[in-house]
Amino acid sequence: MITTLLPSPAFWPTALLFGGAILEVLLAGFLSSRGKGWLAFIATAAALAASFALLPAVQGGAHLEATAFLWDGGAPLTYYVDGLSVLFMIMGTALGALILMFSIGYMADEPSGTTRFFFLMLIFIGGLTLLVGAQSLLMTYFAWELIGLCSYFLVGFWYARQEATDGARKVLLITHIAGFGFMAAILMIYAQAGTFIWSDPKVAASLSTTIVILLLVASMAKSVLFPLHTWIPEAMNAPTPVSALLHSACYVKAGVYLIARMYAIGDWHPAGGAFLLVVACLTMIVGVVFALAQTDLKRLLAFHTVSQLGYIAAGLAIGTDLGVAAALYYTISHALFKGTLFLCAGSIQHATGTRDLRELGGLYSKMPVTTWVWLIAAAAISGVPLTTGFVAKWLLLSAALDDGQAVVVMVAWFVSILTAFSFMKATVSAFYGDPSPSLAGKHIHEATPTMQVGMGITAVLCVVFGIAPQFLMDPVIAPAVEGLGFNWQIATSWGGVLTRAGSIDVSLGAIGVIVFSVVAAFGAYQLTRSRPGTAVNVFTGGESLPEGDRLSATDFAEMAEVAFEPVYKTDPDPLWLRFGSWLGAVAGKVGQTALWAEDKFIAVTLAGAAVLCVWILAL
Amino acid sequence: MLLLLVAFLALMAAAVGLYALSVRQGGGRWWGLATLTVVFVLAGLANEGSWTGIALLSLAELAAGALILSDGGAPARAAGRLYLSAIVPAIVLTMLAFTLVGIHGAEPGGITAKIAICLLLVGFALKLGLIPFSFWVPAVARGAPTTTAIVIISIVDIATFGELASLRHEAAWLFDDAQAVWVTLALVSMFAGALLAYAQTDLKRMLAFSTITDLGLLVLGVSLGTPLAMAGALLGALSHALSKTVLFGTVGLAERHIGMPVTLETRGLGGRMPLASAAFILAAINFIGVPPGFGFSAYWRIYVAATDFGGVAIIAVLLVVAAIDLLCYARAIHRCWLGTPQVELISALPRLAPAVLAALVVLTVALGFYPRPVTSVLEARPAGEAVHVTSNALPSASEQGERLAALH
Repeated sequence: MITTLLPSPAFWPTALLFGGAILEVLLAGFLSSRGKGWLAFIATAAALAASFALLPAVQGGAHLEATAFLWDGGAPLTYYVDGLSVLFMIMGTALGALILMFSIGYMADEPSGTTRFFFLMLIFIGGLTLLVGAQSLLMTYFAWELIGLCSYFLVGFWYARQEATDGARKVLLITHIAGFGFMAAILMIYAQAGTFIWSDPKVAASLSTTIVILLLVASMAKSVLFPLHTWIPEAMNAPTPVSALLHSACYVKAGVYLIARMYAIGDWHPAGGAFLLVVACLTMIVGVVFALAQTDLKRLLAFHTVSQLGYIAAGLAIGTDLGVAAALYYTISHALFKGTLFLCAGSIQHATGTRDLRELGGLYSKMPVTTWVWLIAAAAISGVPLTTGFVAKWLLLSAALDDGQAVVVMVAWFVSILTAFSFMKATVSAFYGDPSPSLAGKHIHEATPTMQVGMGITAVLCVVFGIAPQFLMDPVIAPAVEGLGFNWQIATSWGGVLTRAGSIDVSLGAIGVIVFSVVAAFGAYQLTRSRPGTAVNVFTGGESLPEGDRLSATDFAEMAEVAFEPVYKTDPDPLWLRFGSWLGAVAGKVGQTALWAEDKFIAVTLAGAAVLCVWILAL
Repeated sequence: MLLLLVAFLALMAAAVGLYALSVRQGGGRWWGLATLTVVFVLAGLANEGSWTGIALLSLAELAAGALILSDGGAPARAAGRLYLSAIVPAIVLTMLAFTLVGIHGAEPGGITAKIAICLLLVGFALKLGLIPFSFWVPAVARGAPTTTAIVIISIVDIATFGELASLRHEAAWLFDDAQAVWVTLALVSMFAGALLAYAQTDLKRMLAFSTITDLGLLVLGVSLGTPLAMAGALLGALSHALSKTVLFGTVGLAERHIGMPVTLETRGLGGRMPLASAAFILAAINFIGVPPGFGFSAYWRIYVAATDFGGVAIIAVLLVVAAIDLLCYARAIHRCWLGTPQVELISALPRLAPAVLAALVVLTVALGFYPRPVTSVLEARPAGEAVHVTSNALPSASEQGERLAALH
C-alpha cells in the first residue's frame, strides 16, 4: 500500500514525539517540572497508540510506504514501515512512556535542566522511530547519529560533574567512530547500487563481505557487543531514567535493529553470520563475568546488558526463522526486564543516595513494592519460568538446537547460571539482611506513586508475556519476522511451549528437565539446610562455620572473581588508550614540524609552490 | 547560488556586528575597516565573474589585513604582517593567471594553460591557507582580536572560496587538467590540518588548524567538480561560516571574561557560561559533520562524490580525518567546557553575544533537520538536467563499471 500524503499514519509516532519536544521548549516557561514530565509522557503515550495503530497494516509481512516531504535537495523523507519497524516503534514508545512516567517523580526535585531533559528524551525516542521507519539509508544514518547525540547529552546531563561528562565522552567517541563504519558501508552501497533506498533490490545485489562487516561493526558499538562494549558501564552516571531508556529500548537496540534489517536488505548471512555468532558468544561470557565483579548496582546491570545483548545477537546470527524470532522476542523481553531493573535501581538511589551494594541492605522492609518489582525482573533476566526471560531463552536455545549450534547452547546455559548468581548477589545485598551502617539516619522511603506505576507495569508485562507469549509472538513478532522475508512456522503456547511439529519433543524434554531441576534443588536445599543448634552443613575443610552462617551467592561471586581473573584481562580499553597515546605522539611530531614551518614560512611556501608547479608542468 | 552566498555572508556580517557590539574589540577605525571589508566582499560576490568582482574581493582581502593591523598590539601586528605576506603575493598570482587566460577562462592549451593552473592553485592555496601555505592562519587566529579573526575566517575566506567555486563553473579545465594535484592538496590539507589541530593545546590555534581541515574538504568538493560535490562544497562553505563564527565567538567570549587564553588546561567553562558552552558544543558537532547538524548535508555529498572518484581508499582517508576531528573536538569540549568549573569570571557576561551565538546554533540545527530551503537553491538545475543522487536515479552502465572498478 502506498500513500503520499503528509498525515500518513506511518509518520504519526515520530511527529507526535518531535511535536512534544517542540512543545516542551515552547511551554518551558509555563510548566513545572512535573508538568513537563506529564507533557512528555502524554506525547509518548500518544506515539505508542499511533504505533499500535500501524499493526494491522503490517500483518502477514505487508508494509506501508509513505512520503512526507522533500527533505534534502530532491531527496524525500520516505517511510517504509513493516513489522520490524512497528515492533521497534511499539517497544520504544511503550518503554519510553513508562520510563517518562517514572521520571515525573524522579526529576521533580531536580533544580534545573528539566526542559532539556524531557526535550532530549522525546527526541531520543522520536529518533528511534525515525531510524526504524526511514527507507533511505542516509536518513537511517541521520537517525542513528541523532539518537547517539541524544544519549551523549543525556548521559552528560549533569555536565558539571566530571564522572558524568567522562562517561558521555566515551559514549560519543566509541559509538560515533564505529558509526563511521555505517557511513562507509552506505557510501560503498551507493557507489555500486546508485541508490540509498534500502528496499531497492540493487542494494541487495551490492552487499559484499566488507559492507556487511562494516555494518556489523557499527551495530556492535551501538549494541555493546564485545569488544566495543566498554562505553556502557561508564555511562552509568546519567539520571536513571536515561540509563533505563538507553539500556532497554532506545539505544542498544538500534544496533539490533540494523542487524535484523539487514535480513530485509539482502542475503548478508553467509558473509557475516559466523563472525556475529562468535562475537555474540564472547559478549555473553565477557558481560556476565564482568557483572559478577561489580559492586555498583548500575554498573552491574550495565554489564548484564552487554551479556544479554550477546544472547540477542546470537539469535540474529543463527539466522533461521526461529533464531530471528527468538532474537526479536528477546529484544522486547530485555526491554521490559532491563527497564524494570534500572527503574528499581533508580528508586534505590533516589531513596538511599547510593547504589553501592556494599552500602545497601535490608531495603525490603522500607521499600516492599520496589523489592517485589525487582524480584520479578531479576527472575526474568535469570530465565525463571513464567517470565518473558524464560520464554526468550527457551526460544533461543530451541533455535540453536534446531540449527545444530551446540556451542551456543552450552555458552547460553553457562551464562544463564552466572546471571542467576549475579542477581542473587545483588538481590540479597540490596534488599535482605541487615541494613548497612551507612544507611543509618537516612530517611529511606518507597518510590513515589508515578515511579511505582512506571516500573510496576513493566514488571507485570514481564509476567504477562511470560505466561502468554503468544499474545506477543503472533501479533507483533510474527509480522516482523515475515517482513524480513522468513516464513512464519512458529506456534507458541502458554508458558512459551513451542507447539509446532518437531518442537514438542524438545519442549516436553525441557519441561522434564525443569521439573527435575526444581525437585533436585529443593531436595538439596532441604538436605544442606542447617538446623537450629546444629553445626553448619557446609564442607569447609574441617573448620566449622559459626552457627547460622552459610555460604551465599555473594561468596560465590567473590570466588568467581578470582576464578575468572584471566577474563578481566580482556578489557579492550587499554588498547584504545594506547591508540590514543600513539595518535597524540604522531600529532605532536607533526605539530613540531608545523612550528618549524611557521618559522621558515618563506622557504616552505616557495618549496611547496615549486613542488606543485613541477607536478603540474609534468602532467 | 551566488545570491544565497551573498545573503548568507550578509547574515554572518550582521551577526558578527551584533557580537562586536557586545564584546568590544576595536574602536571607530576597526568598525570602519570591518564595514569596508564586508562591503567589498558582498559587492565582489555580487559582481563575480568580472574584473570588478575580482578587484573588489582582492580589496576585501587587503582591507582584512588592515583590519588585523588596526588593533595595534604586537601579536596582531605580527599576524597582520603574516597575513599580508600571504595575501599580497596570492592576489598577484591570481591576477596574473586571470590576465593569462581571461576571466571566463577559455582553455589556451599548452604551457600557458599549465602556468595559469600553477598560478591559480598556489594563489588560492595561499589565500585559503591550505597546507603547506597555512602559516598565517594560526597567527591570525591567535594574534588578531576574535571578531577580526571571525571576519577573516568566516566571511573573507568563504568569499574567496566562493570565487574558487565560481571559477570551477567558468573554467572547469583549470581543475580537470590537474585534478590529481588539486585533490592531493585538499587531502593533505585535511589530514595534516586534523593532526595539527589535535596537537594544539591552545583552543584558538586548534580552531585555526581545523579550519584548514575543513577548507581542504571544501576544496576537495570543488576539485571533484560534479554537481553533487559542488553542492556539497557550497553547503560546506555556509556551514563552515556558521560554525566557525560560533566557535571563535564562544572562545573569544570566554577569554574576555576569564582574562586568559582558553587552553586544554582550562576547566569547566560550561558551569560559568552554560549558553556559550552549549553553543560551542553544537557548533563543533555541526562543524565535524555529525547529524543533525547542517554540516552533514555538505559532508555526505562530498563523501559520495569522493567515493565515485577514489573508491574505498578515499573513503578511508576521509573517515580517518573525521575521526581525528571528532577526537580533537571531544577533547576540547570535555577539557574546557564540561566538568567541574575551575575558572572564575572576572567580569559579568553580556547578554547579546551569547544570544547571537545561540541563535546561529539554532539556525544550524534547524537547517540540519530540514536543509531543503538551502539545498534546493544550490541544486536547482535547468529543466531536464537531473541531479542523479538525490533523485536516486541509477548511474549509467559505464558509470557502474567505473565505480565497481574503483571499489575493487
